[in-house]
Amino acid sequence: METVFARLVVLESSLALLFGLGMLWRRGVPAYISAFRWQSLVLAAVAATVAHFGRDRELYLVAALLVVVKGVAIPWLLRGTERRFASERELAPYVNTATSLVVASLLVLFAYAIMRPVVAASHLPTRTGLPLAMGLVLVSLFVVTSRKKALTQVVGFLMLENGIALLAILGAYGVPFIVELGVFLDALMGFLVMQIFVYRIHETFDTIDVDQLDRLRH
Amino acid sequence: MSPFALLLAPSLVSALLALVVRPYRRVVGWANGVLSLLAFSAAIHLWARVLAGDTPVAGDLLRADALSALLALCVSGVAALAAWLGPGVGADDGYDRGQARTFRIFANLFAFTMLFAVTTDNVGFMWVAIEATTITSAVLIPLHASRASVEASWKYILIGSVGIALAFAGTVIAYFDFVAMAGRDHLSLNWTVLRDAAPALDPQVMQLAFVFILIGYGTKAGLAPMHTWLPDAHSEAPAALSAMMSGVLLAVALYAVVRWQAVAQVTIGRGLAEGFVAMLGLLSLAIGALSLWSQRNYKRLLAYSSIEHTGLVCVGLALGPLGVFAAMLHLLNHSVAKSMMFLLAGRVLHRYRTAEISGVSGLLRVMPWTGGLFAAGMLAVIGLPPFGMFVSEFALVRAGFAAGRPVVIGLVLALLAIGFVGVIAHLNRMLYGPVPAGVSVGEGSRWALVPLAGCAAVLMVLGLTVPAPIETLLVRIAEIVAP
Repeated sequence: METVFARLVVLESSLALLFGLGMLWRRGVPAYISAFRWQSLVLAAVAATVAHFGRDRELYLVAALLVVVKGVAIPWLLRGTERRFASERELAPYVNTATSLVVASLLVLFAYAIMRPVVAASHLPTRTGLPLAMGLVLVSLFVVTSRKKALTQVVGFLMLENGIALLAILGAYGVPFIVELGVFLDALMGFLVMQIFVYRIHETFDTIDVDQLDRLRH
Repeated sequence: MSPFALLLAPSLVSALLALVVRPYRRVVGWANGVLSLLAFSAAIHLWARVLAGDTPVAGDLLRADALSALLALCVSGVAALAAWLGPGVGADDGYDRGQARTFRIFANLFAFTMLFAVTTDNVGFMWVAIEATTITSAVLIPLHASRASVEASWKYILIGSVGIALAFAGTVIAYFDFVAMAGRDHLSLNWTVLRDAAPALDPQVMQLAFVFILIGYGTKAGLAPMHTWLPDAHSEAPAALSAMMSGVLLAVALYAVVRWQAVAQVTIGRGLAEGFVAMLGLLSLAIGALSLWSQRNYKRLLAYSSIEHTGLVCVGLALGPLGVFAAMLHLLNHSVAKSMMFLLAGRVLHRYRTAEISGVSGLLRVMPWTGGLFAAGMLAVIGLPPFGMFVSEFALVRAGFAAGRPVVIGLVLALLAIGFVGVIAHLNRMLYGPVPAGVSVGEGSRWALVPLAGCAAVLMVLGLTVPAPIETLLVRIAEIVAP
């Protein structure tokens, strides 16, 4: 029972990380959005798995929220924005694909290194997935800093949040539900405000390429 | 009524008032001003309760010890200043009704999130509130939409959100540490519970958590090298918002660092926790002080000076109980001085129509009172007597020698001197010289100078003596942070 649980969780966490890595070699915002949607659904599956095997009812609610907010609502809003700026593609990120993949693999190794004490201290069967979650956090951080389009940065940020949610679910079967609700609310509000700013950037600069945002360089 | 309700409700009521009264009317601004004073008096009440040896709590959610009381005082005070001097109170302030309404809604929500962050006992909610400060304040930066302000707010919201997300990762890791030891419990994210459990937690896990938390909240506090958003955001925001961001938002982010430092240093040991904080502090101090030289824009000058002072506070936090005392006194001084300076800079900008230092000359002749206060504030900011920052910097230097860190103190003094010279040169250029063509002479709205002169008076009092109620409060904080 324990081993099925552990294996399932590691499999799902690996999938979540893979969808994050997909950001590095695919071009075009639609691909990013669908990667994010699948990643959120996998994350919901992790929550449901832990809820089932760990006998924690609250996590079913978290899984449902993940499906509704991050699996459906946010991708739908992102698609709407993407259609407005259909011509905007992530053609030349600051770091090319080959280098990006090398950096990402180093980051995942680094995640394994820094999470060793955490894995050692935990008694939960889900602990083996923790380095993968940290890997997703670090890779998403890299995506946010190395891409030029505002919309790509938003997706990177959303994946970063998924990574942290995964970390919380695997490491402690989620933070207390009431705090989780606050975090969800923040994530949604933050996303909506970012979305507004993507429009404003487009309005003011005629592009969502943040490379053009250089008025304040000193 | 509970002091917490009186502290937190006025900003929510004001935001709601601005939301429902459409189109915006100036009476909303006045109501906001009166309500903000109510919150300020609630903060004073909390302060008095704490001095009497009491720790007010409301359920498991809210708790105010000495550290919370100091921050509540700073936040509600600066929020009151912003409410009285922000868009939508005076007759001709350069903002239309729609802009005034937006400002009133979000500035009050911003104040609410900060007040909640410093009075909640739950570090999870503290995180939620600090994350919400990014959202509520980013909306207001491009109140006057321009390329520069849109760019500044994008940088701010992106870097701020990513940074704060890392702080949540740190919070989650610290939570594992607790759960692995004591099992799950709905109170396990409460700071008091974490603090009591700290000696039994796993040091290696806590070390990782603290690094994440420090980088995360440090990003919001403007610590180098995560400070890149700060000069843009603080210089492009409307004056009243800059005052809140520079005066107290940085302090609230530092508050989160201090709360975690108090837990982490018990688990991982004083030396290591202080080492991390001091390293970031010195780097920020260096980058802030060196950048002061090359600034051409006076609002950016003030912003870099904020980075310098945040760094200084962090250095103080790493110097034991005396250092914590000095750091918190410095934080109080900085809140008063920087909010005053950004509001004055707003007056200068309104008159000269430029934020370039080269475009401003003869300030003392154009607006004698504004200019005089601006000069006094600048001298206070660079740490000259008889102003408060001289006293807190002096206390910090003494704490450094007492803690046996002469090298650190040597570095601090050298960097402060560098910043000092950089600012003095700029200040001279602005105060004297001919009045540029097209700039009218004479003060604008005089009554707005009264609260600003009040700030200068507070700085001067703090420069002559540390009044007993403040001293006791700071001693209590030092006992909490570095027992």
